[in-house]
Amino acid sequence: MRKTIFLILILITGLITKAQYPGYTAVADMAKFKTTFAAAAQKTNSIKADFTQDKNLSMLSEKITSKGNFWFKKDSRVRMEYNQPFKYLMILNKDKAYIKDGQKESKVSTSSNKMFKQINKIMIDCMQGTALDNTDFKTRVFENKTNALVELTPVAKGMKTMFKSINVIVDKKDFSVVSIQMQELSGDNTIMRFTNKELNAAIPDNLFDIK
Amino acid sequence: MLPYRITYLILSSCLLIMLSCSPAHQQMQTASADVNLLQKFKPAFTVALYNTTVDVVGNHLSGLLLIKKMPDSSTRIVFSNEMGFSFFDFEFAADGKFKVYSITKQMNKKSVIKTLQHDFELILMNNLDNSKASVQSKDGLTYFVFPQTKGFNYYITNQSGNNLVRMERASDKKTIVEAVMKNYVGGIPDTIGISHKTFEFNIGLKRIER
Repeated sequence: MRKTIFLILILITGLITKAQYPGYTAVADMAKFKTTFAAAAQKTNSIKADFTQDKNLSMLSEKITSKGNFWFKKDSRVRMEYNQPFKYLMILNKDKAYIKDGQKESKVSTSSNKMFKQINKIMIDCMQGTALDNTDFKTRVFENKTNALVELTPVAKGMKTMFKSINVIVDKKDFSVVSIQMQELSGDNTIMRFTNKELNAAIPDNLFDIK
Repeated sequence: MLPYRITYLILSSCLLIMLSCSPAHQQMQTASADVNLLQKFKPAFTVALYNTTVDVVGNHLSGLLLIKKMPDSSTRIVFSNEMGFSFFDFEFAADGKFKVYSITKQMNKKSVIKTLQHDFELILMNNLDNSKASVQSKDGLTYFVFPQTKGFNYYITNQSGNNLVRMERASDKKTIVEAVMKNYVGGIPDTIGISHKTFEFNIGLKRIER
């Protein structure tokens, strides 16, 4: 009897997993995945890419698409430049952030601004492959033939009020980020897809300067 | 002849009544103009995306504001930052009802929501009750005055009525908010500005072509 219940539970769990992320199955050996992920991330010192961001407003049946360029360089430096359909620049350099929207420039200390602290941590964790170690989230990992899906469910108080989950899809070939999907509590989501990726490209340091 | 004190009381009472009608704008004269002419300034939103800046007591925010007319004739206004995180999602129903679908914890305060609701109601021009409106003039401008539950909404045009100079929300004593809508393209303003007069709170919207 117990065996039957156990088998049914496994079947149900399998069905739920499949229904949640079609084409993906749960990673069986998490320890191995973590080690491979960390090793690959260790080899990646910089990333240069283009990105397309889609914000899907479910109840309004609307999609807001924006495009731009992305740069990451170890340690903890990110530059995001939105070019279409608006201009917006964000530089994250360790514990500092610089924003330029239109003509307005602002500098923020990520240690004093909770929101930027969270954005900073998520972006850096995704790029440096340390997302699985972030204690602000409960993590689950799924995979298919080509990609791995890292599901981050917030457990920290601040993040819980912002996101239902953040899913990071990485390419199993080099463990670089393919896309980041932020699921909001309202049901809306934002998907950021990275294309034309160049790993370990020469990126000048001054691209991340915050003066 | 009425005694001096009674005459004084009647006159001062009349003055008080006159002042209490629209004291934010004194020395205005009653004018005649067709209130319906305001309809041409009512934004014909289908769906519009605005680059948005918000300056509130020393803090600067930016993002995108989406305004969409829904099939049930309600208007939804969603404000999110550039990276997609939503700050609020409001619904302004055709019958004047207002609903908050979502709002961030930091903004979820009754006074903040009320302020934003009234600001957007002023520019949406959804529920202008012409039967309660009055028309006045001052300094070559025509003031269309709409009494609200508290205070008044003013829509101020030039004398010929072909230019909406500004909009105002005023209490019984002073102007609280000034707003402008400019450069209409296909019935939708390209530029919208909302400026509070009692504390630093300014919203700037510039339409984005998608």
